[in-house]
Amino acid sequence: MPAPIIIVRGLCKRFSRGGKNVDAIRDFNLEISEGEFIAIVGPSGCGKSTFLHMVGGFEPITEGELLVEGHPVAGPGPDRGMVFQEFALFPWRTVAENVAWGLEIQARSRSDRVAIVERLLAKVGLTHFRDHYPAELSGGMKQRVAIARTLAFEPRILLMDEPFGALDAQNRELMQEELQTIWNETRKTVIFITHDIEEAIYLADRVIVFSARPGRTKADIPIDLPRPRDLEVKKSTAYFDYRNQIWDLLRDEVLRARAEFA
Amino acid sequence: MMAKLRGGAWLGLLPPLIVLIVWETMAEAGRLPDYLPAPSIIARQTLTMLASGELMRHIGVSLFQALSGFAIGAFFGTVLGLLSGALRPVDRFYEPLISLTYPVPKIALLPLIFAWFGLGDLSKIVTITISVFYPIYISALAGAKSVSRVHVWAARNMGASATQIIWRVLLPTALPQIFTGLRIGLALSFVVMFVAEMVESSVGLGYLILFAEQNLRFDMMYVAIVSIGIIGFSADFLLRQIGKRLLVGQLTATEIRR
Repeated sequence: MPAPIIIVRGLCKRFSRGGKNVDAIRDFNLEISEGEFIAIVGPSGCGKSTFLHMVGGFEPITEGELLVEGHPVAGPGPDRGMVFQEFALFPWRTVAENVAWGLEIQARSRSDRVAIVERLLAKVGLTHFRDHYPAELSGGMKQRVAIARTLAFEPRILLMDEPFGALDAQNRELMQEELQTIWNETRKTVIFITHDIEEAIYLADRVIVFSARPGRTKADIPIDLPRPRDLEVKKSTAYFDYRNQIWDLLRDEVLRARAEFA
Repeated sequence: MMAKLRGGAWLGLLPPLIVLIVWETMAEAGRLPDYLPAPSIIARQTLTMLASGELMRHIGVSLFQALSGFAIGAFFGTVLGLLSGALRPVDRFYEPLISLTYPVPKIALLPLIFAWFGLGDLSKIVTITISVFYPIYISALAGAKSVSRVHVWAARNMGASATQIIWRVLLPTALPQIFTGLRIGLALSFVVMFVAEMVESSVGLGYLILFAEQNLRFDMMYVAIVSIGIIGFSADFLLRQIGKRLLVGQLTATEIRR
C-alpha cells in the first residue's frame, strides 16, 4: 500500500480570544490515501473548517504534524484546490474569465487556457453561460463555475468547505450527483466538509465524525456502498443504517456543543 | 402616460429651457441689470471668441492644467491607496500624515507652492494634484479594505503573489469606489484650477473671468462660466461611461445598471 497523501499526527490548533486560549482542535489524527474521498461531519464550531484551512495552508498549525505528500504544509498552493461555501468568484470577471484566472497566474498560453476552459465549462454544463457574469447565475451555477475554476489548475487534492451549504435542497442533490460524476472521472483526493450526513454518506469513502470542541475524531466510518452511486442508493437499507449510526454519534456531540455555548 | 414619461430623458431639459426663454424675453424687454446680459448676447460673444481662437486658447491652458493635475493625483491616490489597503505597515506609515493634512484646504497652500515652484503652470498643477489625491486615496483605501477574505484566499490558492493579488484582486474590488473618488477628484480639479488662475495667471478660464470683471464685460464672464460648465459635464460624462464599461460585472450584482 502506498504512503498516504495526507498524514495528520497529534494536530492541535489554539486560538487566543480575549486573553484566553481556546483549543479548536486537539490531538487530531488522520491518514488519507491518494484518490480517497473523505467527508468530515461535526457540530458547528467543532473546528472542521479550521482543519481544512490548515490543510489549505491558510491557517498555521499550533502543534503536531500535517504532511501533504510527505512535506509539512507551509502555505497555500495550487496542489490543493479549495472550493468555498461562498463560491469566491470574482464578480468583475465573466464565467470563462473566472475559470481562466488560475491559468493566467500560471502563465499558461492563450490556446491552452481556451482549451482547458472550454473543456471544463462543458464538463459542468455551463458552455452557454461562458460570457455571463457571476451575478447573473444561480447559486448552483456559481458553485459549478467555482469547481471548474479549481479543476482548471489541476490540484491533486480538492478541499471543499461546505460547498453546497448555500444551495437549496434540489440544487444540492444535483450538485452531489455532478460532483460524484466528476470524482469518478478524475479520482482526485477529496476532503469534504459538511453538516449534512446524507450528503457525506452519498459522496464519501469514509466519513469522519468530529467531536464537539476541541475537535478530534469521534468515529471513522468506512462507507461500503457500491460505486458509482446513483440517488437510488439513498433509499437502500445499508444507507439508512449508516445514517442512523452517524446521526446517533453526532447527536451527542451537538448536544455537548450546545451545552457549552449555553 | 406613465410609460411615456419614464422614457423621457427630455424632461430634464425642460427647466433650463424655461429659464433661458424667460431670461431672454426679460432681457429683450430691458428689465434686467447689466450683469445679466441676454443669452443671445452671450451666445454671440461665444461665437466671436471661438472664431478668433481666443476662447480655445483659454480652454486649452485650463484643461491642460486641470487634467494633468487630475491624472497625476489620480495615479498616486490609486496606487498609494491600494498599497495602504493591502499592507498594514504602509497604512500605518501614511495614516497620521493623511489624517492631519486632509482637512487643510489645499488651495491655502497656493502661496507656498508659488514660492516653491514659481508663478507658472507647474505650481497650479501641483496644487491640483495635491487636492485631487485625497479623495482618490481615501476611496481606493476603503475599496481595497472591503475585499472579502475568500477572494484573497482563492487567489493565494491559485498561486498568486502579493503583487498579483494587489493588481488582480484588490484593484478590481476597489474599482467602483475608486471611480466615485475619481468623480469627486475631477470636479475638485476644475475648482482648484479656477481659483489658482484667478489668483495668478495671464491666460485660462479663471483669468478670463477676472479680466471680464475688471473690464465690466459680463458677457465674457458668462462665456467662461458656460465653457467650464460644458467641459466639466463632458469630463464627468466620459468618466461615467468608462466606469460603466469597466464595472459591468459589479454593476450587475448591485442592480444599478441603467
